[in-house]
Amino acid sequence: MAPDHTPTPPLVFTPRPSAPPPPSTVGVMGWLRANLFSSVPNTILTFLGAYILYVFLEAIISWALINAVWEAPNRRACLDAVGRSGACWPGVIAWLPNLIYGLYPKDQVWRIDLGALILVLWALPLFLPRVKSKIAIGLTAVLVYPFLVSYLFLGGEKGWIWMVLVAGSLATFFWVWLTAISEMRTGLPFLALLVRTLAGPDPIPERARLVRQLAWAALFVTALVIVSRWQLVEVPTRLWGGLFLTMVISGIGITFSLPAGVMLALGRRSSMPLIRGFCVAFIELFRSVPLITILFMFNTMLPLFLPVGVEVDRLLRAIVAVCLFAAAYMAEIVRGGLQAIPKGQYEAAAAMGLGYWQSTTLIILPQALKIMIPAIVGNFIGLFKDTTLVSIIGLFDMLSMARAVGEDTRWLGLFIEPFFFITMIYFVFCFAMSQYSMNLERRLGGGQRR
Amino acid sequence: MKLGLTLLAAAAAMVTVSTAAYAQQTLQQVRTRGSLNCQVGLPTPGFYALAANGTWSGLDVDMCRAVAAAIFDDPNRVQYQSVTSAVRFTSLANGESDMLSRTTTWTAVRDTQLGLEFAGVNFYDGQGFLVPRASNITSARQLDGATVCVLTGTTTELNLADYFRANNMTFRAVTNENVNVLVETYLGGGCDAYTNDKSGLASRRAAFPNPNDHVILPETISKEPLGPVVRHGDQNWGDIVRWVLYGMIEAEEMGVTQANLAEMQRSTNPGIRRLLGTEGNIGQGMGLPADFMVRVIRHIGNYGEAYERHVGANTPIGIPRANSLNALWTNGGLMYAMPFR
Amino acid sequence: MSSSTSTAPPRASFLNDAGVRAFVYQAAVFLAVTGLFYYLISNTITNMSQRNMSAGFDFLDVSAGFNIAFTLIPYREGDSYLRVFQVGIANTLLVAVIGIVFATIIGLIVGLARLSTNWLIATLARWYIEVLRNTPLLLQIIAWYFGVFNLLPRPRESIDWGGLFFLNNRGFYMPGPVPQEGFGWTLAALLVAILGAVLIVTWSNRRRRATGRIFPGGTVATALIILLPLAVFYGSGAPLTWDWPTLRGFNFVGGISVPPAFCALVVALSIYTSCFIAEIVRAGIQSVAHGQTEAARALGVKPSRTMRFIILPQAMRVIIPPLISQYLNLTKNSSLAIAIGFPDLVSVWMNTSLNQSGRAIPIVAMTMAFYCVVSLAVSGLLNLYNRRMQLTER
Repeated sequence: MAPDHTPTPPLVFTPRPSAPPPPSTVGVMGWLRANLFSSVPNTILTFLGAYILYVFLEAIISWALINAVWEAPNRRACLDAVGRSGACWPGVIAWLPNLIYGLYPKDQVWRIDLGALILVLWALPLFLPRVKSKIAIGLTAVLVYPFLVSYLFLGGEKGWIWMVLVAGSLATFFWVWLTAISEMRTGLPFLALLVRTLAGPDPIPERARLVRQLAWAALFVTALVIVSRWQLVEVPTRLWGGLFLTMVISGIGITFSLPAGVMLALGRRSSMPLIRGFCVAFIELFRSVPLITILFMFNTMLPLFLPVGVEVDRLLRAIVAVCLFAAAYMAEIVRGGLQAIPKGQYEAAAAMGLGYWQSTTLIILPQALKIMIPAIVGNFIGLFKDTTLVSIIGLFDMLSMARAVGEDTRWLGLFIEPFFFITMIYFVFCFAMSQYSMNLERRLGGGQRR
Repeated sequence: MKLGLTLLAAAAAMVTVSTAAYAQQTLQQVRTRGSLNCQVGLPTPGFYALAANGTWSGLDVDMCRAVAAAIFDDPNRVQYQSVTSAVRFTSLANGESDMLSRTTTWTAVRDTQLGLEFAGVNFYDGQGFLVPRASNITSARQLDGATVCVLTGTTTELNLADYFRANNMTFRAVTNENVNVLVETYLGGGCDAYTNDKSGLASRRAAFPNPNDHVILPETISKEPLGPVVRHGDQNWGDIVRWVLYGMIEAEEMGVTQANLAEMQRSTNPGIRRLLGTEGNIGQGMGLPADFMVRVIRHIGNYGEAYERHVGANTPIGIPRANSLNALWTNGGLMYAMPFR
Repeated sequence: MSSSTSTAPPRASFLNDAGVRAFVYQAAVFLAVTGLFYYLISNTITNMSQRNMSAGFDFLDVSAGFNIAFTLIPYREGDSYLRVFQVGIANTLLVAVIGIVFATIIGLIVGLARLSTNWLIATLARWYIEVLRNTPLLLQIIAWYFGVFNLLPRPRESIDWGGLFFLNNRGFYMPGPVPQEGFGWTLAALLVAILGAVLIVTWSNRRRRATGRIFPGGTVATALIILLPLAVFYGSGAPLTWDWPTLRGFNFVGGISVPPAFCALVVALSIYTSCFIAEIVRAGIQSVAHGQTEAARALGVKPSRTMRFIILPQAMRVIIPPLISQYLNLTKNSSLAIAIGFPDLVSVWMNTSLNQSGRAIPIVAMTMAFYCVVSLAVSGLLNLYNRRMQLTER
């Protein structure tokens, strides 16, 4: 007889459910405790910080919002209503179009809006998924877009050369969107898709090239027809102003400074003493003096440097000054990037038999540019902010326009409000750029860290 | 850079002055360009005001428009260049502007050393002080030791220093190139007095939160003859600007206005006939048509009309003309045109 | 003949020879640049002579005739333009030096606050940096001037710190020292003390490196600098009186005072630059690998010495070059003083003097020359430092 054999249940370790953490370390309370009140000095700092924040925000909000006047026929009415305890916004509102577009004729303002819209549309494919030709699209946005938009902004008589350039630019714009759409739908670039449709999946190269050329010709002719029927009134640059002008100057400065900065930086590291000398002299000169003096120099001296009768547009002078200044700064950033590339990369490129330009453009610059992105964006932000200085040489940028508000007889003396307003505009733009750069840095840096 | 500029400066000093090549050119350049490059200052009410719709107006702007009207019979063919006072003379001298019409005081140094030529006076001003009524100051002599807000880069700045030195008084200056900054500083109590040309004081005071809390002191401490300026060396161009200005003053004296112009063209008064070019040909000597003043008056009016339109008693600026230096000489003022004959 | 050519290495074509190419490129650049300069200069000479513009420096002796609101070196209305130039330089350097000191202090604090474990402080520091870094400095200067310094009480209701320091909307006032006869001895003692301190620190450093023994060189040096001049000062009978600011008429009279524009400019410049410095400090501290701290602790080095001898020297290598470039930026940015009328070099020289005298070319050239000299001098020093501190690349 076997004894009753009931198997004893195996001893399994079952942990007791973990006790809830002390209430003071979880939830809102825990977070507060860990991050704000972890020690006596920390608590004092917290209260001090909160107090500073309160005083600051309270003063601004009560002036800009609570006590502010939003509707009034002139500044007198504002003053009679709230005195100086609140902001007088109607003056800013009345001048808002000027703060944004400068003195650009009101019936032509749609051209600026259209130009901005085209830029957005041009750059939009860069952010769409499944679009592969991003580099080509990005490059055309920087290099080809300006031709189209310069005619849009300037208008007036266009010679045939300009007409061809503008038409080419418009054709490229069509190409950008056709490519974006075809890549999103089929995964093939527009021209490749066209070749496959018209010449079969595996065409002879000559035929494929012919199709491509014909496609480009068709695009170009369409654009040319559109452009030739386009007649825009001339708007001289002295009427440009406001945020628009700020954008134009910093946009051109940014576009120009990158290639020029790369050339200068390469020149500075060149083994040819004369070229190195010129580059060093240029960079050091432009970096060592304030932008205000360079602008001044170009504005008042340039007409003296040129032969009698040659008139250089005032805006162009400012742009040239800003470009040269930005290029010198960019050159130093690029130099920093180049120096950060380990020597082994240069040596390896040389060992592979690559020449100077090949190793520079294929090996060194791509790596260097990647490291430099935060600095480059920082430089762009600096340039954007520095454009406030063109007001000193008499261009009607946002700052000059803000000043003009207070000189309008109706709003005489209105000074703080427009300044506050444009400060906010600058902040929004610069902050957006700096956040984007951080985002970019994180994304690109992710690859580095692995 | 410095070496280069020093060399350049030395070389420039050695080259003998030759103005012949440049003279007689400005009118031709303006005609070829199809518009007049007229320099005004940063927007200032009354003299060169900028409206929200982008148009310029004012007493000095009318001077530009009058010259354009005389040349093109179209006052709108003017390209306004608005620059800070720091670059005003350089901008004229380097050929960028054809003329400068921006409340610029006629002084000996400016006339003789900067390559400029003053074409006349279109506004007689004088510098005064604005103080808070609560300070109980009634005379500028009581300002010893005061802090004074003053526009920089102007003759006001020099006159202020001269006045205090001459009266053995001391002061501290708060300077800026932006009137609104100074006014804000003054209103905030950052200075005891604000000084500027009296034409500007009244209009600024009118825009204060409580205008009656501030008084303009009786003293006028300087002479400020303001007028249009052209480059030295092109006498003909200077003549054009000068005689357009005199023509406007003469027209007021003769009673020729925008309204009665057609009637006046039939006048038998020889003075009016010469002014309007129905008799004689004064314009020809300057390369202008005989009826250039008809064009000016048709588009702009005479001096008095321009004055009343922009700075007169019925405008926000409100500078009464009667019994002031800007009245016609026949009314006891200084506005006196050289004879048109 | 034929045998010698066959043994020679294959020669590259003349055009592909690196030396020849370099020569051709450089010659082309040289010709282009000199040609351009020649063209510009000859145009300028023609233009200037035709327009009766004078470019000489003769105006420097002429009396300027305007008042300058704040001067570090003595100036009266009758002084020459050359004096105005000197006043401008002195004022610019004063703003730059004071601005640099404050910017470094604030930047250090904010940079450390950014790394703080207190969430509110770290966030506040982040937003402080983000907001101030992303608005134009010109607007910030104006904001400080009107938002703070112009709103201070009037002279009669001055903020009063113990009857010594006064702050009102006309400026900041403090007692000014007036040296009497015999004060020179104190200055001489100070000089001797500084020299001695430098010697002591150098000697103690050398001994530490050679033997590892630590001598409190810093403490001794500080004591020397403070005590020796103090002893001489009282020994020679305290030959110094103070000039107290007193309210007389419109303003305070006497003592040392700085106008509100100066305060606004210094505050704006320091705070704006401190954002950049804070980021530099943060990056510098984060750049030192954590292993360094751990290794030091493993070796038993005290935390304070770890910071001083291990972390800081390495962080400094990262911090110094961008820091100096921020200092230069601050100096250049002080030219924005023009917006609130502080008489720095650009404001008093390139604006007011140019306006009054009309001599654009020499004045702009002198202004640029000044900034060039300062900038190049500092760059030169920085290059020396970099060469000493650079990691040798293997």
